[in-house]
Amino acid sequence: MAESSMKDISLRIRSIKSTKQITKAMELVASSKLSKAKERIEKSRLFHTIVYNAMDDIIANNEEMSSPYLFRKDIKKSCYIVIAGDRGLAGGYNSNVFRFSTEQIGNKNINILPIGKRAVEFYRRQNYEIVTDEYSIIENLNIGSCHEIGNLLTDCYLKEEIDELYVIYTKFLSTLTQQPEIIKLLPLDHSITENQDIGKNSNRENILFEPSSGVVFNSIVPSYISGMLWSAVSESLASEFGARRTAMESASKNAQEMIDDLSLKYNRARQGSITQEITEIIAGSGL
Amino acid sequence: MNKFHLQIVTLDGMFYDGDARQVSLRTIHGDVAILAGHVPYVTAIGAGECRVYENDTDQPRRAACIGGFLSVTKEKVLIAATTFEWAEQIDYERAKKAKERAESILSSGDTAEYRREVAKIKLTRAKARLKVIENSKNIAVH
Repeated sequence: MAESSMKDISLRIRSIKSTKQITKAMELVASSKLSKAKERIEKSRLFHTIVYNAMDDIIANNEEMSSPYLFRKDIKKSCYIVIAGDRGLAGGYNSNVFRFSTEQIGNKNINILPIGKRAVEFYRRQNYEIVTDEYSIIENLNIGSCHEIGNLLTDCYLKEEIDELYVIYTKFLSTLTQQPEIIKLLPLDHSITENQDIGKNSNRENILFEPSSGVVFNSIVPSYISGMLWSAVSESLASEFGARRTAMESASKNAQEMIDDLSLKYNRARQGSITQEITEIIAGSGL
Repeated sequence: MNKFHLQIVTLDGMFYDGDARQVSLRTIHGDVAILAGHVPYVTAIGAGECRVYENDTDQPRRAACIGGFLSVTKEKVLIAATTFEWAEQIDYERAKKAKERAESILSSGDTAEYRREVAKIKLTRAKARLKVIENSKNIAVH
């Protein structure tokens, strides 16, 4: 009996050890990717803040409200870009994004552009209308693909196929904390709704658009959207690696604890079987 | 001469953050030069050379600046470009090859609208880059 339990324990130890090797390796991969992703968000975050504020300024000071980019009266259909990861094993990273987006979406009439394999699978399972699943691998997404998405959705917006555009991503606060967030990209009236009083009281300077505000907006809105999208993708990627690193770190720690525990049991069983053998031998020698 | 605060930012980070005397660049509407005290102004950037004059005496710093927008407010002048490369960062050989590739597509009689559009855009971008190098080093470009 003692021998079979010893064998069982040593088998379990071996299997946990190999699991630990995998989680350890994933932890290392995630942390090396994380440091690259962190460099990327430092750059894109700068762009994000400056351009977002500049856009706010431009819109708050623009008196001509005829541009289709600024106002949309009837919101019939909204489009959500949801950014999640390609793989699981990242703690609650993916499910947090989905839970947050389900809350945000509510009962609206929407379609979705999922980014990341998990997002594509999730929304296909939920039978949402999907704009395109071309961008399913988030790690392969480059600035060019963000421009494609920006142009595609701006087109849809101008053709009135969609009336609102949001992006849901995960903001990277630190390696330990990531927060799902939503940004409204179109129409561009966020500053007006949020800063209504400020807009009225501050001495508004009328901005000169050349050649005209229509032409300028036509040209800068797609690149504004792709820029915002790129920074959202960068944040999400960093969050994914951060979440995976933390999850794998605790998995490795748990594995080590289990190994320690089982080793103790194994040694005890070994000791027990030796003691028993000695007792048997002494008893058998007929002293 | 008066100076103003100039910021040049792209998705690859900040390229310039400091005072300048004049900045000239190509918009979709033609070339503009911005001096201190300019009225609040917004325009879309085309594809061309951007020159930053830091001091009265200095030669301008040249860069290829493509896409995005230029905004002038009371506080600062902001260039939020899609592509921004200082002359010394531009890969001359690569731009030259890109120009040849685009030209061969355009002259090959490939009639697919989409490919021609892309080739045209690539050609303007490559030309803008080559022009910057030509201007800063006086290399003849054929």
